[in-house]
Amino acid sequence: MRNLFGHSSRRLKAAIAFPVIGVVLFIISNRVDELRVYQGANVAVYVVAIISIILLTGYSGQISLGHGALMAVGAYAAVLSQVYWHLPIILTFVVAVLAAAGFGAILGTAAGRLTGPYLAGTTLALAVGLPSLANQFGFLGGEQGLNYDVGLPPTWLGADFTQYKWFFWISALAALMVTWLSFNLLGSHYGRNWRALRSNPTAAALMGIHVGRSKVLAFTVSSGLAGLSGALLAMTISLVTPSAFPTSLSFSIVTGAVLAGVTLLTGSIVGAVVLVAIPEITGALATHLGGSEKVTSNLPGLLTSVLLIVAVLLFPNGPQAIMKRTRKSSH
Amino acid sequence: MFGQRRSKRNIFALATLAAGALAVTALPAQAFNVHTTDGVTPTTIKLGITIPLTGSAAPGYSKIPAAMIAYFNYVNDNGGVNGRKIQLVVKDDAYLPTLAVAKTNELILKDKVFAVIGALGTANHIAVSKSVNLGRRGVPDLFLNTGFSGFADAKKYPTTFSLFPSYVMEAKIMGQYLKDKFPGKKLGLIYQADDFGTDALAGFKQAGTNFAVKVSYASGSQSAQTAAGWVSKLKAAGAEVVVMFGVTTASGAALATSAALGYKAQWILGSVGGDATTLKAVGVPAVVLTGAIGASFLPAPTDTSDPYVAFFQGINTKYNGGAVFDNNVLVAMNTAMMTVQALRAAGANPTQKGLVAALESKGSTFASAGLAPLNYAKGVHVGYNGYWFGSYNSSGELKPIGGDYSVYTTDSGAGAIAKSTYVRPALPANGLPTN
Repeated sequence: MRNLFGHSSRRLKAAIAFPVIGVVLFIISNRVDELRVYQGANVAVYVVAIISIILLTGYSGQISLGHGALMAVGAYAAVLSQVYWHLPIILTFVVAVLAAAGFGAILGTAAGRLTGPYLAGTTLALAVGLPSLANQFGFLGGEQGLNYDVGLPPTWLGADFTQYKWFFWISALAALMVTWLSFNLLGSHYGRNWRALRSNPTAAALMGIHVGRSKVLAFTVSSGLAGLSGALLAMTISLVTPSAFPTSLSFSIVTGAVLAGVTLLTGSIVGAVVLVAIPEITGALATHLGGSEKVTSNLPGLLTSVLLIVAVLLFPNGPQAIMKRTRKSSH
Repeated sequence: MFGQRRSKRNIFALATLAAGALAVTALPAQAFNVHTTDGVTPTTIKLGITIPLTGSAAPGYSKIPAAMIAYFNYVNDNGGVNGRKIQLVVKDDAYLPTLAVAKTNELILKDKVFAVIGALGTANHIAVSKSVNLGRRGVPDLFLNTGFSGFADAKKYPTTFSLFPSYVMEAKIMGQYLKDKFPGKKLGLIYQADDFGTDALAGFKQAGTNFAVKVSYASGSQSAQTAAGWVSKLKAAGAEVVVMFGVTTASGAALATSAALGYKAQWILGSVGGDATTLKAVGVPAVVLTGAIGASFLPAPTDTSDPYVAFFQGINTKYNGGAVFDNNVLVAMNTAMMTVQALRAAGANPTQKGLVAALESKGSTFASAGLAPLNYAKGVHVGYNGYWFGSYNSSGELKPIGGDYSVYTTDSGAGAIAKSTYVRPALPANGLPTN
C-alpha cells in the first residue's frame, strides 16, 4: 500500500517537476547570450547520449565503448530520411531512434553472450570501423557528408529568434522527454529487472527474469537514445559526416557517464556540462599559462583523463553520491 | 524504499542542477549584437583561425598559425595596419567538424573577432558555413585553404573567399598538360571517390582527357594493400603516364607500392597529395619521388632566388624560431601578407562589410607570392586560378621543368585553358604592403 502510494507520489512529483524545468530552461534561453545557448544545446545532446550509457551500463550492467557508432547510425538515418524521403524534421528524429534501436537490437542479440571486456572490445571495434563505412558508399556523401538542415526557426517566434536558440529548444525538449521516459522506464518492472541483472545475473535468472531478453531490450533502448543524440548532434553542426563521430566521442560519453555517476539519471547533466566545458576551460587555461603549442594542444585530453581517473578513485557513484553521504552523516 | 526516496530527491536535484548550471552561464547576459565593429579597437584588430593542432591532420597544418603570427608580428613591429596591431586568436579544431563549429562559435561570439582567416578542411568548413552561418552574420571568412568548388558560390557563401584554385581548374590544367607533353601515351588516373574526385573527373572531362584506365578509392581506404590493387589495374591496362589525384597518404602509398612492384610509369601528382615534406613525413623515400611531376601555384619553398620566398625565409628565421620552411609556412605567410593588404584596403575605419567589399574591388591587385593571378571580383570569390608543373629532384624539391615557371590558367567552367602572361606585383619594400 505504502509502496503504491510512494510510486504515485513519485510520478506526481515528476509530472510537476519536468514542466517546471522546461519553463526554467525556456526563461534562461531568453536571457543568456548566443554562445551559451549554443553550448546549452550541446549539453542537451550529451545529456541524451549519457542517459543512453546510464541505462545500459548503470542499470543492465553491459559496457559499450561503441555508442559513438550508434550515434552515427541515428544521424545517418535521420539525414537520409530527410534527403531521400523529404520527411518533416520531427519524423527524421523518430527515424533516427528506430534505425539505431533496430541496429542496437541486432548488435545486442549478437553481443548477448559477451560480457565485460569482450563486450567492450566488440563495441569499440564498431566505434572505430563503422563511421568510416560512410566513405565507401557514394549516397552517404563521403567525407564531405550530407547537410542536415532542420530549417530556420518558425517565423512566429520573431526575427530575433536565433538559429542556435532553435537548436537549443529542440535538443532541450528532447533531453527532457528522454529523461522523463527513462525515469518512468527505470521505475517500471523493466528497470527492476535490469538492476537485478546487473547485481547478479544468476539470481535474476532464478527469479524468473529472462536474462538474454532483458539484456537485448536494454541494448535496444539504449541504442535508440544514442541514435537520437546522434541526430541532435548532427543538427547542431548541420552536417552528417564520418569525422563528426570519431572514436573519441564514444570515450567522451562514457567519461561523461562516469562523471555523472553511472547509476544516476540526474547526474547526466553534470557529465554533459563538464564535457562541453572542458574545451573552453582548457582553452582559457592555455591562454593564461602560455607555454608551448605541444603542451596547450594536449591539455583537453589530459584534463579529461585526469577527471576520469579522479572520478573513479574518489566518487565512483558520482558527485551527487558524495553530497548525499555528507548529508547523511550530518544527520 | 531507498531507491524511491533517492528518486524523489533526484528530481529536485535535477531541477536545481539544470537551473544552476545554466544560470551560472547566464551572468554575461546581453542584447542582440550587431557585428559592425567587432574585433576592432583604436589600437588593435582581432582575427581568428581554427586549425588542426592535434589529431591526424595536425602534421604540417599545425605550423600554419605560428607562421602567420610571425608575419603579423613583423608588421606590428613596423606600425601595424593604420596604427592597429594585428592579433590572431588560434583555436584547435583537431580536424573534427564538431570542434570546428564549436571553436568558430567561440571566435565569433566570445572573442568577437573581426574576421576568420585561413580555415581548412572541406567537411569542417561546410559544417561551419552551415551551422555558424558566417555569411548571414556578415563575418568575413578569408583565404580558405581548400579547392572544393562548392565554396565558389558567392551567393551561398557571401563572405567566403577561397585562396586555392578549385580542383576542377587543377584537373583541367593537368588535362591540357597531358595533351601537350604526352600525346599518344596511355593514360591512367587514380582518384578519390567523393566530391574531391568528382571535381577532378569534371575537370578532365572539360579538358577532353581520355584515360585508358581509371581507378577510384574510398577516402580512408588507402594502404599498401589497396595500392597494390591500383597498381595491378594500371599495369594490366598498360598505363604509361599516371595521374594521382588524391591525398598525400594515398599518393605516398601509390608511389611506394609501384616502386616495390617494379611498375615504372611517369607519375603526375595533384597539388593536394604532392607536398614533398608531407610525403617524406608519411614515409616516402626521396628516391621514389624523384622524376615525378607535381603542380603548384606558389614558387618552390626552396627557391631562394624568388624575392617573396627569400623575404619570408628571413621572417621565418627572425620571428618564427627558424621552423622548417616548407609549403605550409609559405602558404601561411603569404596568407598573412594578403590579410594585411585586405585590412588596409578596408580603410582607416574598417568594417566587416567594408572588408568584403574591399576584397571584391581590390583583391585582384594584391601583392602575393602566387605565380598565378588572383581573381577576386564582385561575385568571384576564388583566388588563384592556375598552376605550373615541375619535377621532383633527388632531394624532393619541386623544380620547374625547363627552369622557369610557366603557369597555365583557366576557370571552373567551360572556359579555355591558356598559358598565363600574368606578372605578379613586385614584393612591397621590406615586405610591408603600402596599398
